[in-house]
Amino acid sequence: MSDTICSYPGDRDEALVTYLYDGESDAASRALFEAHLAICIRCAEDLEAIRGVRTELARWSPPEPRFAVLDPRSNPQSNPYSDLQSNPQSAIRNPQWWRAIPAWAQVAAALVFLGVAAGLANLDVRYDSNGLSVRTGWLPPRDARVGDVRIAPPTTTAGTASQINAVPPWRDELAALERRLKTEFHGAQVGPMTASAGLPPRVASDAEMVRRVRTLIDESEKRQQSELALRLAEALRDVNAQRQADLVRVDRALGTVENKLGVQVLRNQQQMNYYIRTSQRQ
Amino acid sequence: MTWTDEELVARSIGGDSDSFNELVLRWERPIYALAYRTIGREEDARDVCQETFLRAFRALPGFRGQAKFSSWLYRIALNLCRDWVRRERRAPVVQPPENVDLLDLAAAAEPSESIEALVARRDLARAVERAMAVLPEEQRTAIILKEYHGLTFQEIAELVGCPLSTVKTRLYQGLTVLRRELAKNNRTTV
Repeated sequence: MSDTICSYPGDRDEALVTYLYDGESDAASRALFEAHLAICIRCAEDLEAIRGVRTELARWSPPEPRFAVLDPRSNPQSNPYSDLQSNPQSAIRNPQWWRAIPAWAQVAAALVFLGVAAGLANLDVRYDSNGLSVRTGWLPPRDARVGDVRIAPPTTTAGTASQINAVPPWRDELAALERRLKTEFHGAQVGPMTASAGLPPRVASDAEMVRRVRTLIDESEKRQQSELALRLAEALRDVNAQRQADLVRVDRALGTVENKLGVQVLRNQQQMNYYIRTSQRQ
Repeated sequence: MTWTDEELVARSIGGDSDSFNELVLRWERPIYALAYRTIGREEDARDVCQETFLRAFRALPGFRGQAKFSSWLYRIALNLCRDWVRRERRAPVVQPPENVDLLDLAAAAEPSESIEALVARRDLARAVERAMAVLPEEQRTAIILKEYHGLTFQEIAELVGCPLSTVKTRLYQGLTVLRRELAKNNRTTV
């Protein structure tokens, strides 16, 4: 090591980085740079300093992610990738949020939706002396308008054969549609009630929820305790550092005072000596 | 039996969802770590990690194995990180995230570590984060890929789309800046 000016033949920065990461340079380049290191103090110092940086970098770890994605097998329910095959979009962004909604709420939402839809469509269902009437749209009713269907009530159908033959051909289909709608409405209203009567699943779900909440609370308490301990340690360290700094300052101040005192004593002594010498001469 | 990434990809394309889950299990930590070190926020790193696998899954049929699966995944993650930084218009890793609990992390790793050591470790991690925040994006990416993910110079060059010598220069410059910043921080601390 004789000079601080680097005279490496070639791109010295590249060579240094290549040498820094073992195994990425060939033997010849490596030997060449090692020979250079032996005579170049600047490169040797750079290399050592950058190795130190790498050591510090190695201590930087990302925090543990607090989500279940890291171990889908341990908790398949919360694995956002589990239903990627069927629904890639919702699987990641919002994993089956609707399953968390109770059945009664889903039915209520469906009924509200149907109600709103019927309102928007201005659905008008009447059953009067003229029979069952189902009408949609915002125009005023007309007798023979498209979209306005009528079914004569059973009492009015008990007439002559000619009256029966006068019934339109779509009447049966409409009656079937009406029956199906009624069945579906009835099923939607009764279904969830009967389903909720089966208590064990709900109870199990509640117990599971309580267990999860307790686990969360426990984890939170542990974290808080850890954080508290950490804060205390930090405060203690700060206090100690401050105390040390104060002690050093006090020590320095004392030293200064002692110095001044010593100087003063020395002066007094010299003055005294002078007086003594003067008095002896006289 | 342990399948290779490429075998798992082939099985996933064939409709085996367990194989894709296996790939997720295998690569989610590195991808999350890459995202966290690049953008510096745990929540956003998590989102980037999930989005990376979502995009990978969608694009899986088009993966022909020209590159390693991991390199392909890293490229998706890096693009997402870059988008994130541009979209948010804020410098990444300027502030260490508030909810980073290195105490838990360190305690889990080394239960016998003293609280003073944990404090020191936390301080050091913050110092590194602050120093990394100073780096330009290209230098930071090069350092992260090399230091924390062990990619070769060639792999990094292919991943970020620049010549090999540029990767080395970025690494050297980045490490030099880090050296200066960490020294500055040490002087401040002392």
